[in-house]
This record gives sequence, C-alpha cells and structure tokens, in this order.
Amino acid sequence: MTDVLKIAVEAIGQDTLRVILGLIGVLILVVINALMLTWAERKVAGHMQRRIAAKEVGPFGLIQPIADSLKLLGKELITPMKVDRVLYFLAPVICFIPVLVSFVVIPFGEGLQVRDINVGILVILAFSSLSVLSIFIAGWGSNNKYSLIGAARSVAQNIAYEVPLLLSLLIVVIMVGSLSLKDIVEAQKGMWFILYQPIAFLIYFIAGVAETNRTPFDLPEAESELVAGFHTEYSGMRFAIFFLAEYTNIMIISAVATTFFLGGYLGPYLPGIVWFLIKTYFLVFVILWFRWTFPRVRFDQLLNFSWKILIPVSFINLIVTGGILKL
Amino acid sequence: MVEIEELKRLFPRAEIAEIPYEERGYHLSIAVEKGDIPDVADTFAKKGCYLFDLFCVDYLDFLELVYFFNNHSAPYRIKVTTKLDPEQPTAPSISRIFTIAHWYEREIHEFFGVFFEGHPNLTYLFLHEGIDFYPLRKKQVKVSEEDKKRLMPKPPGEEEDTFFINLGPQHPSTHGVLRVILKMDGEYILWAEPVLGYLHRMHEKMAENRTYQQFLPNPGRMDYMGALNFNLAHVKAVEKLCGIEVPERAEYVRTITCELNRIGSHLLWLGAFLADLGGLTPFLYVFDDREQVLDILEAVTGSRLTYSYFRFGGLYNDVDGEFIEKTKRFIERLRGRFDMYNRLITGNVIFINRVKGVGIMDEALIRRYGSSGPVIRSTGLPYDIRKKEPYAAYRDIDFEIPTGVNGDNMDRYMIRLKEMEISLNIIEEAINRLPDGPYRAEKLPKKLKPPKGDLLSTVESPRGELGVYIVSDETEIPYRMRWRVPSYSNLMTFPELARGCLIADAIAILGSYDIVVPEIDR
Repeated sequence: MTDVLKIAVEAIGQDTLRVILGLIGVLILVVINALMLTWAERKVAGHMQRRIAAKEVGPFGLIQPIADSLKLLGKELITPMKVDRVLYFLAPVICFIPVLVSFVVIPFGEGLQVRDINVGILVILAFSSLSVLSIFIAGWGSNNKYSLIGAARSVAQNIAYEVPLLLSLLIVVIMVGSLSLKDIVEAQKGMWFILYQPIAFLIYFIAGVAETNRTPFDLPEAESELVAGFHTEYSGMRFAIFFLAEYTNIMIISAVATTFFLGGYLGPYLPGIVWFLIKTYFLVFVILWFRWTFPRVRFDQLLNFSWKILIPVSFINLIVTGGILKL
Repeated sequence: MVEIEELKRLFPRAEIAEIPYEERGYHLSIAVEKGDIPDVADTFAKKGCYLFDLFCVDYLDFLELVYFFNNHSAPYRIKVTTKLDPEQPTAPSISRIFTIAHWYEREIHEFFGVFFEGHPNLTYLFLHEGIDFYPLRKKQVKVSEEDKKRLMPKPPGEEEDTFFINLGPQHPSTHGVLRVILKMDGEYILWAEPVLGYLHRMHEKMAENRTYQQFLPNPGRMDYMGALNFNLAHVKAVEKLCGIEVPERAEYVRTITCELNRIGSHLLWLGAFLADLGGLTPFLYVFDDREQVLDILEAVTGSRLTYSYFRFGGLYNDVDGEFIEKTKRFIERLRGRFDMYNRLITGNVIFINRVKGVGIMDEALIRRYGSSGPVIRSTGLPYDIRKKEPYAAYRDIDFEIPTGVNGDNMDRYMIRLKEMEISLNIIEEAINRLPDGPYRAEKLPKKLKPPKGDLLSTVESPRGELGVYIVSDETEIPYRMRWRVPSYSNLMTFPELARGCLIADAIAILGSYDIVVPEIDR
C-alpha cells in the first residue's frame, strides 16, 4: 500500500494527490451526508408530527435512503417534449459541482483540510453563488410556467440574501484579518465569535436558510403555490441530484457557520472532527426544525425583510465593529 | 324589510301570495312576467336582499324560472317565479344586479337551454363540450348548432407582458379538482376565473330517477366533509313534505352528530389551510383529533366519511351509553387542544403576516354573491341558519355566533376555531338534555308519496347556507330536486378578491373559503 502511494506521489506530486484523494473523500462525504439527511429529515418530521417515520428498512429505518435512491435510479428519465434540451440536461450538473468544490477549503479538524487556500471563504461564496444559476437554468429550460416563476423567485431571493450573508461574514474577516478558514478557526481559541457577534451570526443563519431555499423561505419550490417550482419537470435521478445539492448546501451553510462563529473544530476532550460534526449537525437540525414548524413567508415580505431589515442592520454592525477595532 | 303592500304597488301585474312558512319553508311567492324580472331584482337589491338561489323547473307546458331572495337581518324568503315558453326559452339576465346570477344563468343555459339576454359569457360550466341535449329537460331537447357554437368556451387571448396559468385541475392546493385560470403579470394576478365540472355527477338528475329513500346516500357524496348536514337537509325536506313527526330523541341525536361532523370538517380545514400557507405539521395534529370524531361517528353510523345515518322520521339506529361516554371524553380532549393550536399557530408572526388584511370582504360584496357561512360571519354579519331558522334541537339550545370585524383571512380563521368551541358547547348541552324515547317515528308510510307542491328546506352546513328545493307531483319520485350549495356562492367571490393579489395570497384566500369541490360540481 505504501509502495503504491510512493509511486503515485512521485508520478503526480504530493499536492495534486492530496487534492485528488480529498475530492474523492469529499464526494463520499457529500453522498453519505445527503443520504443521511434525507433519513434525518424524515425522522425529524415524523417526530415533530407525532408519527414514527421510516422504520421498516434496516434498524430505525437507516437503510431507507438507500432503498429510496435505488428506486430513483431505477426510474425512467422522462424528458418533456418542449424543454430546451441542453439547458434541461445541464442544470442538475451545474447544480452539483459547486457544492463539491466548496468542501475543499473547509477545515474538518486540525490538519483535516483538503487545501488551505488563503482566500478560502471567497472560494465558498463564489461557488455557492453558482447554485442560483443552475436553478435559473432549470426553471428556464423546463419551459413550464411554474418552473419559470420559481426560477425568477430564486434569483431575486438569492441576490437579496447574498448581501447580508456576505456582510456578516465580512465582520469576522475584519476581526481576524485573514480570509483563510484555518486562520479564522485558530483565532477563536480563546472565545467563539458568536459571543462577540451574536447579531452577525443570526443574520448569517437567516440568510443562509434563505440561500438554501428552505422553509420559511422555500419560495422557489413552494409546493402549495408552484407545485414544485423549478424542479416541477424533473424526475428520477435528475430530481434526486437537485435534492442531493440542496442537502449538501444545508451542510455547507452549517459548516461555514460552525467555522466562523462556533469555533470550528475547537473543543475539549473529543477529537476536532467530532466537535466539528456535532456543531454542524446541530445547526442542520435547527434548519430541519424550521421546516416542520413554520409556514412560508410571502414573496414581498421575504424581499422586504432582507432589504429593509437585514442589510441595514448588517451594515451598521459592520461599521460599529470596524470602528471598535480601529480604536 | 320587504312590505307586501309596497310590492303590490310596485308590481301591479304580479301575483303575490303569502305562504305558510312552517309548511313550505318560504314566506312569500311572487309570480311575474319575465320582462319584470330585472326590475324585481333591482328592487330587492336596493332593499338589501341577496340572491339565495336561481334555478329552473321544467313543467312540460312551460319552463319556470325560480328566484329565491332573502336578507341577512331577519329571514324572509321570497320566491319569484316567471314562466318561459319551452320552445324558445329566453329571459333577461340579472347578472349585472346580482353577480352570482352570472354563474347560475350559465348553469340554467346548459341544463335547460334558456337563453339569457345580456349575459356576457353563456358557455359550458359543468358539462363537457359536445353534449347534444339539455339534460334537465323532461322531454329530450336537442342542442341546436347555433347553441353549440355559443356554448363553446372562448379561450382568453394572451397579451404582451402577461401570461396565463392553469391553477389545477391537478394542483396541490385546489382541494380536489377545481381549476382556476389566472392571468398573471409576474407574481400578480390580473384576472381569475374558476372552471368547474371536473367532478360533475348530476345529482339533481339522479334525484329525478329514484325514490326519496333511494336518494338517501347521495347528499353525503356531494359534500363529503359535512355529509351529515347534507343528509339532514334532505331528510328534513322530505319529512316536512310528507308531514312526518320526528321524535325528540332523534332530533337531539341529529344535532349532536351534525355538530361532530362540523368539528371534523373545521379541523380538516385548519390543517389544509395551514398546508396552503406552507406549514405542513398542523395537518397531522388535526388529523389526530379528527380521527376521534370519525371513530365516534363510525361506531354509531357505520361509516367514516360519506354517512347516511338519518332516516325519514328518525335515525338508522339509536345511540348508546358508550357513544355518550366517548363523546364526553372527546369534548374534554379537544377543549384542551385549542390552547395548543393557539400557541402553535395563532401567535406565529409569519402566520399573522400572511393572513391579516388579506382577502378582505365587505357586506356589499357578500350581498351581490349571496355567500354564507363562516366566510360572511367574518365581516360581522351574525347570519347562521341554526339561529335564524332553527331546526332539529337548535331550537332549545342557546349558543353564540362568533363574528369577525375585518372580513379577512385572519377573521375567517379565528371564527372557525371559535365555532369548534361553540360546537362542543352545543354537543355538551344536547347530551345533557338528551331525552329518552323512540329514535324513529312509529307509524311511517311504506311508500312515501308526498302531496303535490313545493318546499324549501335550509340547513347550516359547515360551509354555510345549504338549501334543498323539492317539487313533488304525488309520486314516489321527486319531480325536481334542486340543491343550493354554499361553496358555490363562496367560491365565486374569488375572482374579485384575487384581482391584484400575489399568487401566494390568492392561494391563501382560496384556502380560507373551505371549499369542497364535489359539492360545487354536484
């Protein structure tokens, strides 16, 4: 085994190998995470609704996601007649790739990071912005009015919530003076940033939920209004990929929140990765919790909330923090 | 208030007769020439009446158009009839005065072939394109080519910057198979029109083909959520027609079961309304409670959804101690749950922002449409048939009628919650007073052959004012049975309320009506 590694290192260089192995690891993580989150969503929903939820397949229904994915794999891929074929095929692919890249820079534990890039957070923000593109392509390419409305909503929503999301992360960047995620975690050795910046954390989390199109901000796929929104015309594995991307996005939003505000992998006794996963999945649970307890906001309320409340508050927060640091 | 003397002065040619309300269910009958119809309608509109119903009866020698007017303050039901020539039936349209007539006239046009002068859109409402006879005529009458051309729906034209959306017939929040055509400007609705008929089964024609007893299961299939209330309307009408006395005990059990049914219907509405707003969890909670109602009703009626428990002169079987015990336990349980519902839903900021000030109705609108039930009580009109024209055991039981102030979705939500509490009070009171005795009248005729005549019977269904109009010709089979259903006139206000709304608000408004589509389509 070590021989194989040595040969590989000599052939393609240590860095490249690290990235390749890391990407494979990330891919596995993403798939397992999404599968487990579908199970978790069912369980959370079930218990909040006083049901038992999935329990037949495997212990506690743990094998259920695999049964589901096998079913989805076995389904015929139906392509409606009047879709724009190129865009229709492209959308799920574009949807999935950016979420993979985002994981490359996240520090899961001390040294457990595929690549520590010194502009790490920029990479995440840049790539996660691409997901809105895929939703728009899906909505436009489907040639369906419900999809189109969903796509238009998605774009408006993402533009509105990208700004407070960025501003609240910027505050932490100013405090640390670095864009590298590793530096940000290390800077929280003494105190987690959530205690310095509770408002920034709240704004980030709300904007994050809106970015992932989850209830109460699930307007692009509002079931009671738009049937299924942008993915109305998608079925089988293509639909599953949208779902995979959605759950991975939830994971990324929670992971970045953990890294920026909750001290990342820092914590006593237990190894770093365990702390990281505990914190991340707690936030994931909160997002699932939202979905099963809140009704949906209206479109104008959603935009008003961002432009009239979140953005001014984050600007004030930014200026005040900057002023205090300068003093 | 309508004065007979004044009517006689206004319409000297009309035949005006007072009718014994206890026997026939309405107060006044007016027969006019068809040319006078718009004037009569105008007079009643100015007096604050609403158009309760509009339909047609085919007497072979002539077609009779029947207009029922009523008002919300003190019930005074007025039947206005006019005779039409069966060869070339035409009548003036009153859709400009009472907007709901727009829909009733379309219905009469496709069922009887009556042409309404001045009606803007006489196209198919319930029937499918290409049917070649008028189904409710007693003699088969072919649809002429000219009529067929007129009946064909005209597709609305698209314009620049706007597009059309078909909300339904398969859509998560149209509660069945309603279809609404929406003309949209982005997220805003410019124009809306409901398209009916996807669940049309022609119960009114079925009634003309079977005896009164054989029709017993049908009303429950119209409104599956308030089946017992629909059954009661039918049973009550036939009992009045034949002069059957109902024992006290049966009247009380009818009241208890009808109220249980109302609670079940309101609970389901609560879940569905929240699901329309995007909150999916309450649906499961209300089903938990509704299950109890269904269990209680199943034990006594034998079915869980489409009951036909009432018989002419009484009930199918008597209730026992276990039923009383279970009902009492249910009352305790549900009373404890309202607190939880209020904490979970009523106080939620997102919920309040979604329902407050949305879909505002006023009294003028309600009069033009003849809407009823919780929908109009939200505007502050305490109009409830249980109170205004009491039937069954509601005569003896005192209860309040919850009313709103603003007439918006929030009020409709609060009223239905409050109504459930009041229903519980009614049930408790009725159980306490439940008399002993027979549960079915003893001397019943083997064959029901009601005397000649007509009769109107009204009931407060969970959705509003329900009316059955029966014409008997001394046979075992009704000559004509007309069902005036509450959701019909409630739903038709949708185009007006939805205009200028966001699509999300339109869905909320549609949800707040608590429509049951099979009832509208019949």
